[in-house]
Parts: sequence; C-alpha cells; structure tokens
Amino acid sequence: MPLVGRKDPEAFEVLYDRHGGVAYSLAYRIVGNRAAAEEVTQEAFISVWRSGARFDAARGSVRSWLLSVVRNRAIDFLRSKAGKAPKLDFDDDSALEQRPAAERTEEEALRRETAGEIRGALGRLPGEQSKVIELAYFGGFSHSEIAEILSLPMGTVKGRMRLGLEKIRGELAEGLA
Amino acid sequence: MNDSEHTQWSEDLAAYMLGALEPGETAGFERHLDGCERCQAELRWFEPAVQTLPESIERQKPPRSLRENLMVEVRADVPPAKRPRPRWSWRPAMAFAVMVLAVAAVAGYEIGKGGGGEEGASTVISRSDGITVKMVRKGDGGTLRLTGVDQLPPEKVLEAWVQREGKVEPVPALFVPDREGRASTQIEDMSGVDTVMVTEEPQGGSQEPTSPPIVTMSVPQ
Repeated sequence: MPLVGRKDPEAFEVLYDRHGGVAYSLAYRIVGNRAAAEEVTQEAFISVWRSGARFDAARGSVRSWLLSVVRNRAIDFLRSKAGKAPKLDFDDDSALEQRPAAERTEEEALRRETAGEIRGALGRLPGEQSKVIELAYFGGFSHSEIAEILSLPMGTVKGRMRLGLEKIRGELAEGLA
Repeated sequence: MNDSEHTQWSEDLAAYMLGALEPGETAGFERHLDGCERCQAELRWFEPAVQTLPESIERQKPPRSLRENLMVEVRADVPPAKRPRPRWSWRPAMAFAVMVLAVAAVAGYEIGKGGGGEEGASTVISRSDGITVKMVRKGDGGTLRLTGVDQLPPEKVLEAWVQREGKVEPVPALFVPDREGRASTQIEDMSGVDTVMVTEEPQGGSQEPTSPPIVTMSVPQ
C-alpha cells in the first residue's frame, strides 16, 4: 500500500488483482446491476489511487478500508437513484467459482473458507436479525428507515442489529478458538 | 461517565458500525466514543463481524474492461518522472506534426518494386529504434508491417495514423504484435498520404494520438 501511495501503477495493479473481485461483488450486491457496479468499483479504486497516502494501517487492513470506500460509493449511488433497493437474497451461490485465476491464492482460499462460515453464520441468524443487518449494510438504510419499512420500533431495530452482530462475532470467536 | 449514559449510547453501537445512524446521530455517537473506553472496546470486538459482511456475499466476476479502464486511468495519472518510459509533454496534433518532420528527416527508407512477391506492389522499408517498418502498397491501399515490436501491456493496442494534406487521421483497424514481435494492419486508402505512424493506445483505440509514436514513416509520393 505504501507503493500505491507513492503512485506506483504496478503496486496498484496488484492491489486490484487481490481485492478487485470482492470489491466488484460488493458493489454489485449493493447497486444490483453490472454497469453500475463497474462504475462504482472504478470510482472507488481511483479514489483509493488518488488518496492512497491517507491510508492508516493502524486503523485496519487495506481490504477493509477499500471495501468501506466501495460500500460508501455504492450507497451514494443508490441514494442518488432514490428508491432503488438492492435484492436481499443470500441463496444464489452459482457465481462463487467464477473468479479470476489470479485470485486463487492460498490467502484467497482461506478467505473463501472464512466467507463460507460467515454465509453460514448469517444464514443461521434468525431472519429478523439478518434482515436488519442486510438492509443497513447492503441497502444503506438508516435504522429509522428500517423501522419504517418493517413497521418496528427503532429500539427493536437497533437491538436486532446488535444481537445479530453479537452472534456473528461469537461464531467467529469460536472458529478462532 | 455513568452506566446509564454508556448503556444509552451502547445501544447505538451496532447501528453505527453498520452505517445505519442518521448523520446527526453519528456525530453525537462519535463525540461519545472519543471519551468512552468501554464503547471503544466494544467497537474493536465487533469490528471483525462487520468486516466479514462483504466477504459473505455471492462472488461476481468483474468484467475485463474494469481492470483495463482502471489501469489506463492510473497510468495516465502517473507523474512523468515515475513512468517506466520517460515521455515528453504530449499535445497530440502539434506534437505529431513536429515529430513527423523531425523523424522523417532522419529515418531512411528503401523503395522497391514487387514487394514481398506481390504483383503490382511497391514496398517502402524504414528502420527506427529497432523496429523495421514495411509498407507494401497495392492499388489504393497498403499493408503496414512492423517487426521488432515490444510486447504490449494487456490494456494497450497499436493504432496506425496517416497524415494527408496536413491532417492526421486514425486507421480503423487496430492491431497487436504476435509473440515474435510482428504486427500488421491494412490501410484502405493511401491516396495523398505522406506520413504513416503507429502509437500505443488504450483498448478500443483513440480518436487522436495519446502517446508518442513508436514508429514514423515518410511515404514517398
């Protein structure tokens, strides 16, 4: 990442090869169509290219930082297209194996394994908890908007978010133990 | 800070981490977070759960154009001193004209008849910077053949340009070198063309040159 901060195109290429797949997938998950996902991902990576020097390793991994940039861009895109909500299913695994060969590294295999566990953890959450997490994280809805959509008190929405994250975190901790 | 105050803010923690607080609430929570070690500790505990959410989704294969377009934009953004091959300030039309004059003055060429055994064809050969350029003219058109061309980055293609009556025009057929460094393209209309050049351009080609020519050839009339 320091090399990207120093405007090294080859380092940036490596950054894209490592994280471009998940970044595009996240954008697609949020905006719901390929052209918009491509636009959002490109904007996010260019933003990272131009602001790479601002990355602070003490505050998390490059991947987390990059994905937060992608998510913010995608949510902004959704909001600019007012009212367009993403699909909310987690059932379609058909594209899981369609990833570029360059990403099939040992690290990626480990990440996939972890992702599998998280899909499982999300799948094992009670629907009422996974739904509020999906609406917030992938839909970009605020807790008050979610309360309105689901006709729930705001306190209930916040409580379900917390319970859901606690369960995911708990499963992660068990997996790491 | 008392327990009830912490508990009140703590209820917002998950919503904050999921980006689900309203803007005004976010600012208030962050002010609280600055001074609350318990909330900071909870936030650190929850972070892995939130960070794995994007990893949990169905994977999509990004289109090739995404990588190609990104790298074109990134390379164009590199300060000149950091580019692998130093390039000068590039103002397409003007630079083209100046370069053509300069190169044409030093690039020798050979002219022959029946180039490559093709009946009725004439051949012009020019050599510059390790690249041999051969123009086989037949009828109104011609075939431009290069040898000794370096391999291109995946996002680049070769594009030929002709200068006719002082005006630079792109040749529609884009091309790339083979493994042996050979590349060729057809030029349908050579009438009035006095100079041919080739540049590296982004996939899909350009309407005007965006990089210095790798070869320039004067075409005798």
